[in-house]
Amino acid sequence: MNLNRYFFAGTCLLAIASAASAKPIAFANGTTAMAEYGAGTMKEAQVFHAPRYFWSLGLGHTELDSALTDERREITYARANYLVKRWNLESAQANVFTWGGVGNSYVSEKNAHEFTWNAGAQIDYETRRVYSSLKTDLFRASGFAHRIDTLQLGVAPYEHDIDTVATWFVLQARRYTHDIDDGTEWALLLRLFKKGAWIEAGATTDGGLQAMAMVNF
Amino acid sequence: MKKPSYIVFALLLASLGARAGTIEMKVYGLVCGFCAQGIEKTLRKNPATQDVVVSLEHKLVAIATREGTDIADDVLTKALADAGYDVKGITRTERSIADIRRSLKPQ
Repeated sequence: MNLNRYFFAGTCLLAIASAASAKPIAFANGTTAMAEYGAGTMKEAQVFHAPRYFWSLGLGHTELDSALTDERREITYARANYLVKRWNLESAQANVFTWGGVGNSYVSEKNAHEFTWNAGAQIDYETRRVYSSLKTDLFRASGFAHRIDTLQLGVAPYEHDIDTVATWFVLQARRYTHDIDDGTEWALLLRLFKKGAWIEAGATTDGGLQAMAMVNF
Repeated sequence: MKKPSYIVFALLLASLGARAGTIEMKVYGLVCGFCAQGIEKTLRKNPATQDVVVSLEHKLVAIATREGTDIADDVLTKALADAGYDVKGITRTERSIADIRRSLKPQ
């Protein structure tokens, strides 16, 4: 319990101090589609459309497979994302996002579907050389409540521009609550993106595949 | 006797009006390709826009306008604000968009 608290406080401080990340809102009149494979524990696919630069609406599907028990969640939801605050600095940008949604989940141990709500927040800061983000995502139903906290710290070996591929080395720390997994899952990722296409892949410290792909158009 | 000078003046005005212009904007918050994608998409919607160049390195957004057209500063500032960015300065220059592209290429 104490470890959880220290981890959360530490990740908050790190994210505030430094920050580059996938954002739930890419740009005005833009659509973002993303898919993530989280080392066998989490699978997620989301599509959001942003009528304005500060909000977006869309659908998501998240599957959680407990590494500790046989419990499994399949959550499908509609979600709204809101950019609470953006700081445009001379050579950096920082953002605070929040989101909320409602949906339905399949709960394996009950073999039943339950109404589920989702809420979360993300803070990020990035330059063309350093990146950090902290994201917390909560799914709650009558039979479960799972929070996924993800910290990412990245460095770029060179400063990319519009016509060049951006390369990032990203260290990711993730914690799941309530019997999905215990301890902190560490992963080292290689992230590449150019214009509207983004791909990242790497491995967790126990050899699991961690990967994500995203397109903005 | 004054007619020829009126004609010259009118021709001069017409030629000035017919020139395609280049607008350069200093923009803060440009850190990734996604930023540029959103800005380009917004600016290209303006019928006066012929071409757009974005440079993260130079914090620059440059627009080539179509012949005989211009985009007012407040329209540009609003377009960038609607894309989520802050304009810090707007200048109209003699550089063509091709010159700007060339100057941005690594030497």
